[in-house]
Amino acid sequence: MFKGHRGGGKNRFYQRRKICRFCVDSSMEIDYKNPKALKQFITERGKIIPRRITGTCAKHQRKLTIAIKQARQIALLPFVGRPLN
Amino acid sequence: MRKYETVFIADPDMSDQAREELFEKVKNIIDKEGGILLNFDEWGVKKLSYEIKKKLRGYYVCLTYGGTGELVTELERNFRLSDLVMKFMTILITEHVTEESLKQDAEQFKEAAKQAALATPQEEDQEGADEEDDLDEDNADDQDDEEETESEPAEESKE
Repeated sequence: MFKGHRGGGKNRFYQRRKICRFCVDSSMEIDYKNPKALKQFITERGKIIPRRITGTCAKHQRKLTIAIKQARQIALLPFVGRPLN
Repeated sequence: MRKYETVFIADPDMSDQAREELFEKVKNIIDKEGGILLNFDEWGVKKLSYEIKKKLRGYYVCLTYGGTGELVTELERNFRLSDLVMKFMTILITEHVTEESLKQDAEQFKEAAKQAALATPQEEDQEGADEEDDLDEDNADDQDDEEETESEPAEESKE
């Protein structure tokens, strides 16, 4: 089902369905000790990317936020990151 | 008994002797309070994401152990007193574990450590490179997603 497909007219908008990466690949573990993997789910500024953008399911997003906050606590991830420019 | 994991960041500039003493002290506390040390994993000196006590690097150590709440409070009290420990964090892994299961865990950690020691350093480097490649690809995906969602509100306003 395409969420963005509404009505007729020229403004047809298809959206690729987002899939939870952790559900697809069960070998991918959410662990605060692996900041490399968690970095994919935070912005350059260090903010947690909402699941409406990444497509992560609710269950995994909950675990993810906890892991990111734990990683911040022991300085594996920044609380406030630097912007690119 | 409960299974805990404690990560602490020690001063990277301390002498080897001071470091040994600190680690010995930590192990002694766990013994004294009736805990079972499962794994003592030294990650070594790592770059910190933010400054802690005006320092940009830290010596990471990860402890996995079984014990009671009193052990954790005692351990953390000592961390607070020590000038060598810059930061620490304790996480509860499993509640209600038996001593037998803890012993099994300890053996598993030992085997994992053996296998890691057997692996040649060259292989490790290759693995690291692969991971980085994956990261780049995924990041590209993320950006695509963001663009799509950004266009969504504009779409709605036209309708």
